Amino acid sequence: MSSPEESSIQKFKYSTMRLWRDIWRGNPPGPVLLIIGLLTGVLMSVPLLYVIVQSLQAGVDSWMRLLGGRIPGLLWNTVSLTVAVTAAAIVIGVSLAWFVTRTDVPGRKMWQWLLAIPLVIPPYVGAVTYIIVFGPSGWMRDFWEMGLDGFMGGYPLDVYSFWGVFFVMTMFTYPYVFLISCASLRKMNRNYEEVARSQGMTTGQIFRKVNLPLMRPAIGAGAILISLYVLSDFGAIAMMRYVTFTAAIYYQRAGFDIPAASVLSLVLIVITVFVLWIESYTRRKNKFYQTSNSYRPPEILKLGRWKPLVTLYVAAIFGMAVALPIYVLVYWTAIGAGVGVIDADFFAYAWNSIQVSGMAALFCMVLALPLIYLKSRHPSVISSTVDKLSYTGYALPGVIVALGMVFIFNNHLPMLYNTMYMIAIAFIVRFLPQAMQAGEASLSLVSPRMDEAARSLGYPAWKVMLKVTLPSIMPGILAGGALVFVSSIKELPATLMLRPPGFDTLAVRVYVEASEALYHQAAPGALLIVLVSILPLHYLLKRY
Amino acid sequence: MKIRNKALTASVLTAVFLTACGNDIENAQEAENNQAGGNAVNENNNENGGADSSEDSEELNENDNENNDDDANNGNGEENEDNNGEEGSEAFADLDGELVVYSARNEIFVNDLLDKFEEETGVEVQALHEAEALQIQEEAGNVQADVYISNDVGALEYLNDEGFLEANDSLENIDTIEEQFRAENDAWFALSTRARGFIYNQDMIEEEDVPSSMEDLFDESYADVENGYAITRGGNGGMIGNVSALRYEWGDERTQEWIESIRDQAAGVFEGHGDIRRAVGAGEHAFGLVNNYYFHQQLEEPEDNNVGFVYADQGEDEMGAIVNAAGVGNVAGGPNEENAKAFLNWVLQEENQLAFVGESLEVPINPELEPPFEEAVPFEELEVQDMPIRELGNYFEDTRQLIEDAGLDLELR
Amino acid sequence: MSFIQLDHITKSFSDAGKPAVDKLSLSIKEGEILSLLGPSGCGKTTTLRMIAGFENPSAGSIHIDDAVVVNENRVLPPEKRGIGMVFQDYALFPHMTIEKNIMFGLNKWKKRDKKKRAAEVLELVELEAYADRYPTELSGGQQQRVALARALAPKPHVVLMDEPFSNLDAGLREKMRFDVTNILRRANITAIIVTHDQKDAFAVSDRVVVMNEGVIQQIAAPKEMYRCPKNCFVAQFVGKTNLLTGQMDHDLKSIHTHIGKVSLPEESKQQLEKVTLSIRPEGCMLSEQGDYCGRVERVTYGGEYQELHVKLNDDSALTQAPMVIYAPVEQDVEIGTIVSFDIKPELVALVE
Repeated sequence: MSSPEESSIQKFKYSTMRLWRDIWRGNPPGPVLLIIGLLTGVLMSVPLLYVIVQSLQAGVDSWMRLLGGRIPGLLWNTVSLTVAVTAAAIVIGVSLAWFVTRTDVPGRKMWQWLLAIPLVIPPYVGAVTYIIVFGPSGWMRDFWEMGLDGFMGGYPLDVYSFWGVFFVMTMFTYPYVFLISCASLRKMNRNYEEVARSQGMTTGQIFRKVNLPLMRPAIGAGAILISLYVLSDFGAIAMMRYVTFTAAIYYQRAGFDIPAASVLSLVLIVITVFVLWIESYTRRKNKFYQTSNSYRPPEILKLGRWKPLVTLYVAAIFGMAVALPIYVLVYWTAIGAGVGVIDADFFAYAWNSIQVSGMAALFCMVLALPLIYLKSRHPSVISSTVDKLSYTGYALPGVIVALGMVFIFNNHLPMLYNTMYMIAIAFIVRFLPQAMQAGEASLSLVSPRMDEAARSLGYPAWKVMLKVTLPSIMPGILAGGALVFVSSIKELPATLMLRPPGFDTLAVRVYVEASEALYHQAAPGALLIVLVSILPLHYLLKRY
Repeated sequence: MKIRNKALTASVLTAVFLTACGNDIENAQEAENNQAGGNAVNENNNENGGADSSEDSEELNENDNENNDDDANNGNGEENEDNNGEEGSEAFADLDGELVVYSARNEIFVNDLLDKFEEETGVEVQALHEAEALQIQEEAGNVQADVYISNDVGALEYLNDEGFLEANDSLENIDTIEEQFRAENDAWFALSTRARGFIYNQDMIEEEDVPSSMEDLFDESYADVENGYAITRGGNGGMIGNVSALRYEWGDERTQEWIESIRDQAAGVFEGHGDIRRAVGAGEHAFGLVNNYYFHQQLEEPEDNNVGFVYADQGEDEMGAIVNAAGVGNVAGGPNEENAKAFLNWVLQEENQLAFVGESLEVPINPELEPPFEEAVPFEELEVQDMPIRELGNYFEDTRQLIEDAGLDLELR
Repeated sequence: MSFIQLDHITKSFSDAGKPAVDKLSLSIKEGEILSLLGPSGCGKTTTLRMIAGFENPSAGSIHIDDAVVVNENRVLPPEKRGIGMVFQDYALFPHMTIEKNIMFGLNKWKKRDKKKRAAEVLELVELEAYADRYPTELSGGQQQRVALARALAPKPHVVLMDEPFSNLDAGLREKMRFDVTNILRRANITAIIVTHDQKDAFAVSDRVVVMNEGVIQQIAAPKEMYRCPKNCFVAQFVGKTNLLTGQMDHDLKSIHTHIGKVSLPEESKQQLEKVTLSIRPEGCMLSEQGDYCGRVERVTYGGEYQELHVKLNDDSALTQAPMVIYAPVEQDVEIGTIVSFDIKPELVALVE
């Protein structure tokens, strides 16, 4: 009975529905799930978009001025530091990994996790401890002046230099390469090495020609993590008085030179995207590495006369990256506690930290769920786009996220501007992917058949998610929440830029007190941050 | 209106969050109370409950009476006197809620002052430290701060010129501040003053080898003194004031050359002046360009205190020491206008003028007050640059540009 | 009247390339147990998942119990189709007890009825004692039965089973084939079972559907399927066979091939020029005076029988594959000896 017009409308409706189903490979998600996922993904990328728009509106003048004056120097500072730290961290990480997994260095099982501990020391805390020890007024100088000053000349160390920053950043980032290399070395099949040995290669040659090439994907992954870390770090770099893009953006924004800050941000975004591009490019190329079925655990090499030297090397790295910083923190914490630094204010700061970080963790756990569910259960162009969008805040430096948030909230959401919710939201934007990764890892263990079983038993998709999927992946989601919590507790640049009046967190206090050289006031907070960060170390170790 | 919305949203969110966290109803109740008070930020550290505030108000009333006497002595008009008396006492007695303070001053100098205000009035102070003047400008559409404390009169006068500060016509005790140290409309006033000069380490360098004028820094030989010398980053408020004064004296071209010269020659470029005094005291650098009170601070240190100070440009034909001052501005359209006014009146009380100087060891502007650092050189004894200090405001914006062009804005070493 | 009807179902996963399922039509009667049999990638699982609603056909329609569940314009979600599904890995919810698992699909039932129904189906699968256990505490066969019980509990129109026996080892597998058929029969339910193993298919189903490359090759009862495969693919996929080409005799009862004249089980209905024959290895019986003889090229000892490859003494047969013949295990056969054999017409079929 329908008129021709109606039927053509009907046809259009059906063909759209068909197209929609095709996009989702016949399995479209429910509207609520899709809308929540889409919204979250888009919101995660808004700060980035805002910064880009701002930078493009900055005007030719700002661009020319910065391109001529600022950018070349910053580019050199940033890139040289990133390359140097990455290279050094690879050398240290790989060598340590090889020594503790493949040689009979004493206590190798113990070293495998001891050497990962720097992962929980935020570089800005590490920087403080190095300034205390090696700084121009540090312990080392006193020591130097006691004995060596007379005949060796003035104190030769300058921590406030490229090499100072380089050293600190290397010491606190090498675990990324170390952990990934350890995992890769442990998985490496002994057969390859035995083939090489049967063809007359020495241990050194085997390492170069067999192990190293097989470890290349692992090293690459670690290198990417480290370069992204160096590109985005603000705290350590600022404390060591070295100016990279992040520090420059921070100072420009502190001076409210917004156009300049956004122009610099865009350059940094381009560099970051370039690194990410390298990452995806190498990952595509390296897919052929597979461990075969006939796996046998690798052989343990006898170090022989090299044993003392290797042991010394391993212990020295541990000493510099873990023992020394922890000792310094404990020392100053004791002094601080003695003069009553751990007072009501201290607990108020800690409570502030817990509040915003807890809020961020809670929301990340909730928001991660639809995203990972979309990605794994409803694969499509749309869901993978949403997934990528939600990673923007994670991949980019915190200063850029914060910059975008300042614009957005000050201009469009004044009622949340200068509240602690703004910090919590920044944390969510920055760390949501950590919750997603943890959740995804557990979701990948839950067979999609499980969902289908529930569907076939009469449950609509959303109910399946709540009644079947959620209970099964709860441990992963909680682990993700813990990760977000710890990352938020440690986070510095966004907190510093977004904190409302009268709302300081532990991280901010550590930064402020340390820049005032009030180490006894900075140390307790720093130590507390390190201790809290140890909580998910177990989980991190399992992941790499 | 905005503020109401914000308070509402904030407290609702807080309540939701607290409930979600399983906190008890008491907290949620508190959130509601905050809402009623029109608070923007919820902080749960009301440790001093209502009991203290009654005592406080008694004390305050006494203070008010004194103030009224002062006003009378200063010969204010009768009308004013009456109004002041009534308004002042009422305002101080009824104060509650909060006060949002943005401060560019080192927080160590400011915290005690703010604590004192909190204690005496019951107003809860929310402070944001290291806030630069342009943040006030940026937030003009969504004003956050009630009061802005700055180290640089230039910044205060700039904000006032741009209309971001609010005029005051009835501040008690304002006459204790010389006119050149406050805005024509009293939107801001300075309370303590400082002069630029060189702190030096007496173990490393003789007084005659320390530069005696700003001009001396063109001389490349100062780069070669043991461990070199230190300056602050160009974004530092003190440095901005310094450069503005030089532009007034020399014009832009020569000033830019001067910035470039110190940028190239300084061995240390620091975030703040505190870093410089510590570095010079510890012998990391031979001397550094700072404000005089940093010298006072370093002298008070238990160690590394063998430092001296040279006031710059004291010679006969020289321009005189560059002077700047720290003070308080009344932000226009702030969320707690009444408390802001009360704070301005409060801080003008002589006792609090001294508290404002606090640990900074600057010299109070009010000549009646004893400087907290006894050996401080009184400003009458100094040759001071003839630039009217308020002029700094006209230079503020261009000076930042000039510093950026000369490349000192992001330098740290 | 068919209970489940598939009409011209097509499923393409990408625009290019062959569709995974190509214009497939099939009717299933109420209470029937039907197997979809075929090599991996033949489209059998996709077909099953389209019936269940986990995939949607690109074209065509499906009816269950006279109701459209999917056509060009309408897609009924899986939870509304009244199906019970048993998965290859069983997909039991690990965080629920067996009883909870079974009651999961009864959420709209009254609590007392739920308990009752759960007890009923547990009794049906003979696992009453395990109600309070968790799935991980059960053996593979037990989990299989729980999965079936869970699928049966809400009284679905049809039970769909995806490779139900492939996760079980040989001994258990045989028992489960029997148990599952038994349970399905007692529950008197329509069932569609996907498998790549002809033994599974033959053991449990009323009818078997052989699929290849998205197209149905033959639908038949197990016995018929084996004895009279319709085409070369079915003949080869369902058991071993010898494929021979030849010409039909004028009597329409036998075929001339390179090994000689082979009799057909029954007279052909029409005269065909060139035909293909399928001769099952077990249809060839060694015998002293057999009609066919040849030299043994290979002997493979298979336990229950020996598999002989016999090259026929025929010059024209140089290019032909050797005949595969099953010999009793007690008989000693040496490579190189000449053997003779007969062919049982019952295991000979004309194929396309």
